[in-house]
Amino acid sequence: MTELQLSDVRKSYGGFEVIKGVDLDIKSGEFVVFVGPSGCGKSTLLRMIAGLEEITSGDLTIDDVLMNDVDPSKRGIAMVFQSYALYPHMTVRENMGFALRFAGVPKAEIEKRVGEAANILELGPLLDRKPKQLSGGQRQRVAIGRAIVRHPKIFLFDEPLSNLDAELRVHMRIEIARLHKQLAATIIYVTHDQVEAMTLADKIVVMRGGVVEQVGSPLDLYDDPANQFVAGFIGSPKMNFLKGVIEAGDGGECYARLPEYGGVKIPVGLKGAAPGTPVTIGIRPEHFKEEGSVSLDLTIDMLEHLGGETFAYARHGNGELVVIETKNGRGLKSGDRITARFDPACALVFDEGGKRLR
Amino acid sequence: MRNNPATIASAVFTYGFVGLMAFLSVFPFIWMVLGATNSSIDIIKGRLMPGEALATNIANFFTLVNVPLVFWNSAKVTIFATVLTLAVSSLAGYGFEIFRSRRRENLYRAMLLTLMIPFAALMIPLFIMMGKMGLINTHIAVVLPTIGSAFIVFYFRQSTKAFPSELRDAAKVDGLKEWQIFLYIYVPVMRSTYAAAFIIVFMTAWNNYLWPLIVLQSNETKTITLVISSLASAYYPDYGVVMVGTFLATLPTLTVFFFMQRQFVQGMLGSVK
Ligand SMILES: Nc1ncnc2c1ncn2[C@@H]1O[C@H](COP(=O)(O)OP(=O)(O)OP(=O)(O)O)[C@@H](O)[C@H]1O
Ligand SMILES: [Mg+2]
Repeated sequence: MTELQLSDVRKSYGGFEVIKGVDLDIKSGEFVVFVGPSGCGKSTLLRMIAGLEEITSGDLTIDDVLMNDVDPSKRGIAMVFQSYALYPHMTVRENMGFALRFAGVPKAEIEKRVGEAANILELGPLLDRKPKQLSGGQRQRVAIGRAIVRHPKIFLFDEPLSNLDAELRVHMRIEIARLHKQLAATIIYVTHDQVEAMTLADKIVVMRGGVVEQVGSPLDLYDDPANQFVAGFIGSPKMNFLKGVIEAGDGGECYARLPEYGGVKIPVGLKGAAPGTPVTIGIRPEHFKEEGSVSLDLTIDMLEHLGGETFAYARHGNGELVVIETKNGRGLKSGDRITARFDPACALVFDEGGKRLR
Repeated sequence: MRNNPATIASAVFTYGFVGLMAFLSVFPFIWMVLGATNSSIDIIKGRLMPGEALATNIANFFTLVNVPLVFWNSAKVTIFATVLTLAVSSLAGYGFEIFRSRRRENLYRAMLLTLMIPFAALMIPLFIMMGKMGLINTHIAVVLPTIGSAFIVFYFRQSTKAFPSELRDAAKVDGLKEWQIFLYIYVPVMRSTYAAAFIIVFMTAWNNYLWPLIVLQSNETKTITLVISSLASAYYPDYGVVMVGTFLATLPTLTVFFFMQRQFVQGMLGSVK
């Protein structure tokens, strides 16, 4: 069941277009995460859904009702802000009940709902404090509580955890995942954090420059990116990109040759790619193995030991950096010469414009 | 380290300077209090000791001046001026900062320029305007020209820069209209800014002299500042009585400042933290 739909939604600030025609369907109960580089329009799009930013053109519907000009409070949404935006002069209880009071909900009902939300978020003992007297994590929980009491159809989060320290961030991430299950709510969530996106999302929306590059489940985007941008954006450390060119073998099979890497040949099962086409080969750090029919001779530049695994930043003779993830890298040291191998089936091929070739 | 001569010298200099400044600001006040206890002759002679004429001076002040009426006039003018100035100027400052456009920016600059026009240049046109509206010798005429204070608008606009825009967003999502955001969120959040502005406006209004002097012409409407100055410029002024009057006239501002100094300092440093 489609709950929220964007069709060809655009936004301009004085002639400068920042959202350039977004189409998106969000189903009821889905956890959707917007990711993308800074300035790509994630917050703007979220604020347009919330009604805090006018939609220049295109349609926004929620439950099949056109919402473009509906007041934010009447869209069935609730928003959690990056800075929490708690009203500093009100207690936690008043903060949470404020919207309901304004909507004319009876006192007893407000009490009940605030109590429920406080239970879910373990805010009971804090209800009579002012935001000033709370820690960052507690403020965040109050901000979420303020959203919950309104019983919204859709929750909007704009980088809600970015002001918290690493440990609290992990804790709140789990908390939000739990809430999503418990409330069976639709959530749209903006983040910079790869891990948040991968772990929370049912569906990730990757944006760049006001355009949606790809929509899909986290693992789909990871395994099967539509273009070089998505391939590079999802995954950490980044996918390695190696320059090459398409050539035809004697038997008519198609392979990519990497002239800058000693002319290594990578068999690629491409249909209809003309010989001579310049391409980029994408290979993830963890796809380098002991075994594999393709090999690169590299010199280790730097090592990051994470305990379980090791990231080796190695250079080819041509000066290009290649990142390799390995389980048994404890014995390695800078300056070591290694032969890195991978299975050509793991390699992705992109054309010059970054489009995926299959 | 503690006995370093340079440190001592700098401490001596600092305390000396601060002490001198404190003396310069407190001395007139002390003189006024002492003067209220002395006879006019002793004051002219420059006596700086407590005297015995306090009771006489107070009695004389109360016979020469209709004290309740005069204070009531001052209070009326001050309260109206303060409430209206805060309401109008804070709304304007908030509006200029939040709802920006090129036209409003120009309007704002024009408004700031008015700060450079001395009041003396405005006095006569204002007087004529008030005359045309038939407001001469009314308290409305005293209050009206002061309520759109360019300085207070400026002060509120600067303070509003620290007001988080996400609070406005949160309020909109919570269903508040613009005027409700102003009333239920902005005003309480900015209360120390209001407190600081309140003190400034209150003192200015209470001490206002030149303009009331021009528009208030009958004894029934005159405020305390006017009455004291007329006592001091009498043919044979009784300085003891003048000092009593001045002392009583400073009490309200003193009280206001005393009770609000914490908010005043906070407001000067910024409301939002
Ligand atoms: N009020 C505005 N006027 C003009 N341009 C704006 C305005 N608000 C945002 N923009 C522009 O719109 C673009 C998208 O901004 P937005 O805040 O949505 O980015 P974002 O993806 O949320 O970035 P970040 O990850 O840094 O939060 C940016 O280029 C920004 O400069
Ligand atoms: Mg943003």
